[in-house]
Parts: sequence; C-alpha cells; structure tokens
Amino acid sequence: MATVTKLDNGLKIILKHIPEATAVSVWVGYRIGSRNERPGMTGSTHWVEHMLFKGGGKLKKGDVDTLVSRLGGKYNAFTDTDFTAYFETVPADAIDTALFIEAERMRNAAFDEKEFQAERTVVISEREGAENMPEFLAEEELWSNAFHIHPYHWLPIGWKQDLQRLDRDTMYRHYLRYYAPNNAAMIVVGNFDRAGVMDKIRDKFGGFKPEQPPEPMTLVEPPQMGERRAVIRKPGSVDHIFAGWHIPEFAHEDTARLAVMSAVLAGWRGFNPFAYAGWRPRSNRLYKALVEAKLATDVICKADVKVDPGLLVAHATVKMGVPVEKVEEVLLKEMDRIKKNPPTKAELEVAKTQIHAWSGFENDGVTYQGMMTAFFEMAVGFEGYDRFMAAVDRVSAKDVQEVARKYVNEESRTVVHFLAQEVKP
Amino acid sequence: MIQPQRTVLDNDMAVLYQPMPANPFVAFHGCLWAGTASEDKRGAADMTARLLLGGTKSKKADKLAEETEKLGATLEFRNAEEAVHFGGRCPRKTAPKVFGIVVDCLSNPAFPPSETERTRGEVLDEIRIDMDETARRAAKELMESLYPNHLYGRDPRGEASDVKRIKRSDLVSHHKGHYGPQGMILTMSGDVDREFVEKQIAPALSKFDGDGGKPKLAVPSSSRRSVKVAAMPHKSQVDIALGLRAIPRNHRDYYSLSMVNLLFGQIGLYGRLGRNLRDTQGLAYYSFSALDPRLVAGHWAIVAGVNPENLQKAIDGMRMEIERLHKEPLTEQEITNGKDNQVGSLKVMLERNAEMAGEMFRMEYFGLGLDYLKRFPDIVRGLTPDQIHEAAEKYIRLEDCSLAVAGPVKKDRQISL
Repeated sequence: MATVTKLDNGLKIILKHIPEATAVSVWVGYRIGSRNERPGMTGSTHWVEHMLFKGGGKLKKGDVDTLVSRLGGKYNAFTDTDFTAYFETVPADAIDTALFIEAERMRNAAFDEKEFQAERTVVISEREGAENMPEFLAEEELWSNAFHIHPYHWLPIGWKQDLQRLDRDTMYRHYLRYYAPNNAAMIVVGNFDRAGVMDKIRDKFGGFKPEQPPEPMTLVEPPQMGERRAVIRKPGSVDHIFAGWHIPEFAHEDTARLAVMSAVLAGWRGFNPFAYAGWRPRSNRLYKALVEAKLATDVICKADVKVDPGLLVAHATVKMGVPVEKVEEVLLKEMDRIKKNPPTKAELEVAKTQIHAWSGFENDGVTYQGMMTAFFEMAVGFEGYDRFMAAVDRVSAKDVQEVARKYVNEESRTVVHFLAQEVKP
Repeated sequence: MIQPQRTVLDNDMAVLYQPMPANPFVAFHGCLWAGTASEDKRGAADMTARLLLGGTKSKKADKLAEETEKLGATLEFRNAEEAVHFGGRCPRKTAPKVFGIVVDCLSNPAFPPSETERTRGEVLDEIRIDMDETARRAAKELMESLYPNHLYGRDPRGEASDVKRIKRSDLVSHHKGHYGPQGMILTMSGDVDREFVEKQIAPALSKFDGDGGKPKLAVPSSSRRSVKVAAMPHKSQVDIALGLRAIPRNHRDYYSLSMVNLLFGQIGLYGRLGRNLRDTQGLAYYSFSALDPRLVAGHWAIVAGVNPENLQKAIDGMRMEIERLHKEPLTEQEITNGKDNQVGSLKVMLERNAEMAGEMFRMEYFGLGLDYLKRFPDIVRGLTPDQIHEAAEKYIRLEDCSLAVAGPVKKDRQISL
C-alpha cells in the first residue's frame, strides 16, 4: 500500500514500503516532456536531462556518478513525450544519498556553458546512433505524419537541426521553470525507515519555492481527414511497415479496451519497456497471419497511450523477398477483421491472463516498481495502475469490437514504409 | 543474506533456487549442453534451439504458444556458443505446468517442415539485419579477429550458407545426440521454496531424459592483431570495437582484471574511458568496456558509437586511456571506490527475480559454489593494488589490441591504432 503526502510547496510524495527489500529506489518525475516543447527547441527537454548529471549546488561534476557508484547503486534518467524521470536505487541504509542528489538536481543544476557545449555532440551522437536503425527513422516519420499540430509531431530526442542550434540560456530557463517541486512527484519504493523518511524529505525539499506550472496544452490535433502515407527509401537489410491510428488519451475509458485489443492482436509486453526481455508472444492474430504465414519475421501492436491522444501502432518486419504491399494488405485486413470477428473466449482469456501476469513481471524489484509508479503518476496518477487492471477485467469481446470500430479506421490511419535499398559498397 | 539452495535431480539436473518474497512470481534461467560447441553440422544447434517452440510430438506450435500464454508465462530458448539457454517467467501457481511444457519442448520437438522453413527464413533475415547494424557488425569483425578458426569467433547461428544447407535430419540428429539432462542447470527465483521445488517442480523436470553432456571445448589459439573496416556509407554513426584476448572466468586473475575493467570503462558513466570520450570530449553517447570471460578463454573490449568525423579522435582517446592505465595506474581512491561499488552492488544488483536467477545461473555454470555471494565481499576486499596493477599491465596491452569499425567510412580509410 502506498502512502501519499503533499508538501506545502506542491511536491507530491508517494511512499511504498517493502520491508523484505534490501534496496530502496528513489524516483523523481517532472511533468515536462517533449510535448511541452515548441518548434525550434525540440529535444531541449532531453538535453536538460543530460545536463542534470553535470553538477551544481553542492554537487560537483561527476559527483552523482561517484556517490551512487561507491554504493554499488543504479541510477539513470528518461525523457518521454510527457514527462522526465530520474532515479537512484541504493542499499536500504543509503537513502540519504539519493535524496541529496535529487534535491540538488531539482533546483541547483549548474548549466556550465562549456559543459553545455560538450553535451551537444553527445546528444547529437545519441540521435545519430538511433538514425542507424530503420525502425527509428520509420517511427519518427510515423509520428510526424500522424501529428501536424500537436508536439507529438517530434520524438523526445528532437530534430537534429534544433540540436545543432539550441543555446544554453533557453535551456537553463526551461530548467528553472519546470524543475520545481509543484511540477514534480517523488516516489520512494523499498526498505526505508518509515518513521523518519518524511522528515528527511521535508528537510531536503521543503524549502524549495514553487514555480509557475507549465501552460495547459492548447495544441489539439484536429481529426485526420484521410489516410496519410510516407515512404523512406534508404539502403538497408529488410523492409518495415509502421501503421498508426489515432487513439484517445491515457485517462480515457477506452484505454483498457485498447490494451486488451492490442494483446489479442499481437500479445502483451507490458508498459515497462525494460521488462520484456526479448520475449515474443506467439499466440495472437497478427503473429499467425504474418509470421506463421512467412510474410513477416516479427510483428508488434501497441496502444501508445499518452497524456494527450496518442497512437495505436503496428509494426511488421517484412520477410526478405515478400512484397511490402502484400504484408500491408494482410496486416490491415487482420486489424480490420477484429471489427467483424471479436475475440473468442479463449483469446480474451489469454490476453487478460498475460496482462495480469505482466503486472508482476514489470514490477519486479524496487527499481521497476518505482518506474511503474512514476510512469502512471505522470500519466494519470499512480492509482491509475490499479484502475487499469480492474478495467481490464471488465473488458468484453464486444468492447474490443467497439473500440476497433471506433479507432481502427482508414481515415485516421498513417502508414509508413521503410523500403530497404540495395547497399552499395 | 542471500544463500541459494541447490538440489540435484536423479537425472543429473542441478536446480538452484532463491526465495525473493518481495517479487511474487517465478523467474527462471537454465541451460543444457547442446549449443554450437556440440554441433556436427554448422547452424544445426541454433535452428534446433529455435524449433523447440516450433511444435512437439503432441502439440503444434500454435497450441504450445496458446498453452504457455494461457498460463501467464513467457518462455524462450536461445542457442549460444557453449550451451543452449532457456528462460522465462510465470506465476507460482502455473509453474508446474510451465515446466511440463519446458520438458516437452526439450524432449519431443517435432521439427515440422513448415516451421523449419519458417525458422530458416527468420535466421537468414536476422543474419542479414545484423550485418546492417553497425554495432553488431563491428563486434562480429572483432570476434573473428580475436578467435580465428574458433567457436567463439564464429556466429553461433552459422553463416547464411550453412543455414541454407541444414536439413531436418540434421536437426533430429543434433537433438538426439545432445539434448539430455546431464549437467543441465536450472535456476529459479521469486515465489519459490523447498517444498514447492521438490514436490511441484522436480517431478516434471525429472521426466527429462536423453543423451547429452558437456562438450570438450578446445582452447583457442592466439589471435593476430588486425584492423578492419566495414564500410556502411548509408549509416549516420560509426561503431568502434577495440579489444584483445583476456582470460577465462575461472582464471586466478579474474577478479583483479574485472576490477581493472570496472574502473576503466564501467563504473558510473563508463569509468575513465567515459570521462574522457563522453564527459570531456563529448564524442560519444556510449563508450564503455566489457570483460567477457567464458569457459576456456575470454576477451576484453571497448565499444563506442561516434560521428565519422570523430572516428580517429575517439580511437586516439581509447588508446590514450589504455596507455594511461600503465603510466598512471589506478589510484588507491579509484580502487577503493571500485571495491565499495562491487560490495554494495550485492544489495542492489540482485533486487529483481530475473537478476537473481541470472546470478545463480553464473554461480553454477562456472562452479563458483553456493557460498559465492557470501565470499564475494572478502574476495573483492582482499584484492591488493599490486594485483590490480599487475592485471592491467599483463592483460590490457595496446600492442595486443585488434580494432574493427563499421559505419560511414571508406573501406580504405587509414586508421591508426
């Protein structure tokens, strides 16, 4: 059971005490992601995340690294479209170190100009590494075609042209405005002193002043008026197809139905991208129609639910020698079929069993529990996880059929082909 | 303190388990000695392992998948150079049935022609995809240089030409000759206890029978230094793999060398190497070192992904850090940090079921003993600066390094190491 406290400055604290754990994981999530960026400054949120490992306040450059490493701990950060999150997992008796780091990070980052410039090439290198992968290029094309108005038009890494131009002061202002207690939630999961932990948190964070919160989102993506298509031709090994359909925001009542539908179509691999561990679900419609039928070597379908309306994304890796059009035809036919042929009792049972089993797998250990709590807190409130699981139980075959009819339509579809061209030496 | 339990079944399978009450499901990891080292025909081990989920004598592939997923389980088999690995997760209540499926897959694969052809196509595409990925391509080139004409230097899947030649009879023969429980390992972590393992899991596992056993692995001959360039002009970034032959896991210098590796290119944001290449020069998003000790040999490698314009600068940085290891040996403070990291990590790095199952697996695989985790802090604390410096001096030598780069560089580009 979690306990929730809110400090006077607006910082929300979620504590999950697990006495059997040998470690404690401290997460701080900020309600700032690439959705809060505007053209010309794309990728800035992610770049800020990088800068927050470079010291400031009582932390010298490299201190985060040294302090956590000495303890044998884990640490990292993630920038999403909707939020940014930081964590340290340390031995249970070393929670003070994690709280100290996060407190300095929240208000005292240095943003040294020299460090800022050195990080530019690191961030660009991260992007260029991703550009080596056809899947990244195709996914970027998918979102940028499906969203013309809303900032989901770009991925959190940002456009390279912006990364080449962004300046330190813009970024620092971004940091000061959004890295404030009233725009954050702290999650502490694991073994800690229940009696004393809140005093420690108040001591470190209680003195921070709130800032003006992010402006409410005013950019609303208008309904798509027809299918959009894009083609990337680039040397490569195999073709890929990505297809996306507009779906509502995470908080919408259809989210659980869409999750069950995606599980029926392509299996369930959870919300936590680190937990799937290379597993491939095989008892699902798209696997049978595409992989078993030797048209594709892999297929995924996932409702990418976000704070604002997102996309249902299907991706097939086309088998060598198979025309991409053939794979697209079967993929789309299978996506459509669920409107006429709702899931059988057995299909529904497998989908729900998987989602429930994964709730254990993706909450394995204090770090993952911290991640899942932070992820849900940022999207819909951390209690949303239990609501989601309960809603999954209530989903019927007819519900799945209805959400398919509502969202899986040609007029709201975007299709991207990555067509691998011959590699010339 | 973590103290795994171990039991050996009548069929010689070793089962290790560790309760983790905070994580209420079962994660498992196992292996049997039917990997590439055991194959008579190249590529047979890999195809056989993949086809374990391709249907058994009593269940077709789709039925197997449906049954497994209905139990809320994940299950995969994966071939590697020395052994075939398997792993997955499931709720406690369905674990007996899941292990029943594991044993059915291991004992009775049917190798149906349709699934065999599908799998062949999948392997061929996978090889093709890997050849187009800069990091994998650089790693492959480096491994071929480090282990010429040896199992460790080859793709465990076989080359595309091998995969095309494999017949169903090769798979049947590989399975018949090498799939048995002798020396097999299974580790489980999470919602497990003695009674559960002995009464509910062991009966299913004990049914596994067949011929198998640990293959004799040849010690690889020495490697010859090389510089290789895989030109991939259509890519944005170059991947660099620089490495040398090191030591097997059970070598007496393992812990000293492991400490050198930790401090050189692992700890925090990639140790000394990361501070130079990423933090100071801003050349790479990732740049780290890894020690990969195996049963009869091992290697140490640095990898990094950089813009092609920065290729030589990054290699120079790697070279400088290797030379610095000798000119400015690891300091007392660095070594203390490294020791603290290793000892502290026991409480943090084994917090997940999957991590615990993996660690127990390594304990059994390399014969480290059930008390390994208890002894580990003393082993680390007992390392002297001299031992660590000697390991760096003896094993991390620039003159032994081979280099492979893959990405948008010309094949004839001059690269100095």
